[in-house]
Amino acid sequence: MQTSLPKSPSEVPRSMKHTCEHQSDCLKFIQMVLDGAATEKDLDQLQRNLESCQPCIEMYHLEKEVKALLQNRMEKRCCPEQLIESIRTRIATFS
Amino acid sequence: MPETMSDTTPTRGYTDDQKYQIFNKEFMPHIDSMYNFAFRLTMDEDDANDLVQDTYLKAFRFISSFEQGTNAKAWLFRILKNSFINDYRKKSKEPAKVDYQDVETTYNSEDSETEHTVDLRAETVSDLIGDEVATALNSLPVDFRTVIILCDIEGFTYEEMAKILDIPIGTVRSRLHRARNLLKEKLRDYAASMGYNENIDD
Ligand SMILES: [Zn+2]
Repeated sequence: MQTSLPKSPSEVPRSMKHTCEHQSDCLKFIQMVLDGAATEKDLDQLQRNLESCQPCIEMYHLEKEVKALLQNRMEKRCCPEQLIESIRTRIATFS
Repeated sequence: MPETMSDTTPTRGYTDDQKYQIFNKEFMPHIDSMYNFAFRLTMDEDDANDLVQDTYLKAFRFISSFEQGTNAKAWLFRILKNSFINDYRKKSKEPAKVDYQDVETTYNSEDSETEHTVDLRAETVSDLIGDEVATALNSLPVDFRTVIILCDIEGFTYEEMAKILDIPIGTVRSRLHRARNLLKEKLRDYAASMGYNENIDD
């Protein structure tokens, strides 16, 4: 009976790989995709990896999270007004 | 002739009015990004102020080598990066250039194919705050820090980064790859020291 039960969504598909033999290449590839430097073909390839390779899925989430952290959570300073004034004053006396 | 202007761009005969217009409309809007870049490179407010001022004065002086309507932000970042290397890096306590090249050569060698992956989880990273990431980023050698700033914080493309840094795109990619591995190692060590990943199951 149990064998015919449908898989629960959380269950890992039978074909899921738990080791990635090209982890270093996969990582470079994942970074290119996240950096917007990948082609359509690259994206298809990533999609396939994300369906079948557990280490790739984990790497993808980690890379995405690190990038998001850098993009969104770093303090952004404003240029001091005094500096802007100083630059404008210096430039005005140039010509 | 500063090295920043080594491009073979033809000189343009802008009138004074045009120069001020380009300066105000195309250069000044990037001043906050420039200030942040300068501060992240020098990690010092006074140096950042000087670096940004030097860069903008140079940009104005050599404005005829800028083609109106092209990527002003990348052009300015390139001048700032070169000023930093020529004027500020010497006096900083960064490891000498030669050490860094050693590091990069090592990491780009054949052996890098067998590199380990950093044992760090996405969930651990999402618990970190900006200050913690800034500390990790600041602890990287400046060339590694630079590619991460340009790519992840400022959103430059690989091609733009290659121009800003005067290196081939392949080098941009590999340096970025290595920089991110180093950053993840720092984040992992930091998270471990804070006990963020106690329940890691291995
Ligand atoms: Zn994989």
